[in-house]
Amino acid sequence: MGEILGSIFIVSGAFFLFSAGLGVLRMPDTYNRIQTGTKATTLGTILVLVGLACLHPAWALKLLILVFFVMLTNPVSSHALARASHAIGIYETEATVVDQLEEPTIEPETEQAE
Amino acid sequence: MIKRLFIFAVLILMGTVFLKLGVNYSENGALLKLGHYYVDKGPAEIGAANLVTSVVVTYRGLDTLGEVTVLFISAAGVGQMLRRTRKKAGEDDEEDDDSTMRRHKPSSEIVETATELLLPMVILFGIYVFLNGHLSPGGGFQGGAIIASGTMFLLLALPESHISRAMISFTESLSGFGYVIVGVLGVVLGGGFLDNRIMGLGEYGSLFSAGAIPLIYTFVGLKVGFELSAVLDRFREDSESN
Amino acid sequence: MLSLSSIPLSSIVLYSGFGLILIGLWGMLTQRNIIRMIIGFSLIDTGIHMVMVSIGYITGGTAPIINDAVPVADAVNRVVDPVPSALVLTAIVIGLGVTAVMLSYAVRIYQAKKSLSIEDCTESKW
Repeated sequence: MGEILGSIFIVSGAFFLFSAGLGVLRMPDTYNRIQTGTKATTLGTILVLVGLACLHPAWALKLLILVFFVMLTNPVSSHALARASHAIGIYETEATVVDQLEEPTIEPETEQAE
Repeated sequence: MIKRLFIFAVLILMGTVFLKLGVNYSENGALLKLGHYYVDKGPAEIGAANLVTSVVVTYRGLDTLGEVTVLFISAAGVGQMLRRTRKKAGEDDEEDDDSTMRRHKPSSEIVETATELLLPMVILFGIYVFLNGHLSPGGGFQGGAIIASGTMFLLLALPESHISRAMISFTESLSGFGYVIVGVLGVVLGGGFLDNRIMGLGEYGSLFSAGAIPLIYTFVGLKVGFELSAVLDRFREDSESN
Repeated sequence: MLSLSSIPLSSIVLYSGFGLILIGLWGMLTQRNIIRMIIGFSLIDTGIHMVMVSIGYITGGTAPIINDAVPVADAVNRVVDPVPSALVLTAIVIGLGVTAVMLSYAVRIYQAKKSLSIEDCTESKW
């Protein structure tokens, strides 16, 4: 029973990792590629490690710590990459609707005591 | 054109030498005499589970002393080359400021928080690697490199952080001194330089086994870690001279 | 033809190491940017380490660490040679030190000449 469950998890993890690679290949610009690369690979890695924990229950605690580390570092590094690429001005695709990192065009109102 | 032909000829020449070496190479079927001796007598004499550690630290201890010395010389060389000289007139400052002004965008809060969470874990992992050098793959140099990569992590994510150079150089000198003291104690009390039987060989495979090897590797790991951190700190551009 | 499993692993690593040395040598001789020359030097270093490690390999051997998998009495027949691994450990650290000094030279040259190409450093050429 544990084997079948573990194998299902590993195969679905492999599917998500494959879709991450496909996304990095096909997305139009850098920011989309960063997004697909991070989200899909993090989920795929977590699923593969959970499946491995089902197959070898003796390693479950170590694999849980590994999952924790992956969830802690992967999103932070992609966040830093995306911010850095926006700061040096890498172009965005024409389908962009909202850019939240641009400087605000509305001046903040100064509240005087009047 | 002549230069390209010359380079091509050199590469072809070295390629034929390598090919001849590769074709005439056949694997040894069993351990050679020296390896056989180290593997055979190593666990009984030294007491370390990791045979490469017993070779590096005890059987070939003088090579490790040379390696530590080379690292120290290279760190001193980097410190000497990248010393912050006094600016001559005011004009040098402005040109540098314009090109480096772009990089002073502060890190976002997510990166800062994650760094503060992750840095102790990285340093803890480095300490684990050099404390268990005699039981599993690892050792002083690898653990020191992990600690230095933690420092690089800090320098990249929080570029305004201040690392006290006096503390780094003091700890590094103390660790190097301790390493040589343990080696000399090996000469005085034991069989030769860096003999690890000056402390008792504990139970085989536990953490406090293999005599003085954990102590030696602790000194080496701390020394290498702080030394490489100091080298990385030198490469930072506008470090406040301390 | 040779099947892939009949080529011994040490030969594969040996040839890859030699290939890396040749690529690094080509990079050092033809590139003009100082940083690329330093990268070529680092490639030569890695190639040499691979050659040294492959010499100590014994087919069917495992890592020279004694634990539950490799008992003490049986170790002589089961482990690979530990001496080349120990030599490579020292060599990697020394390669790191040399690369650090080379990079500090590159930083100084850039600060003095504002250019990273080696065509501009012609004072000592004769």
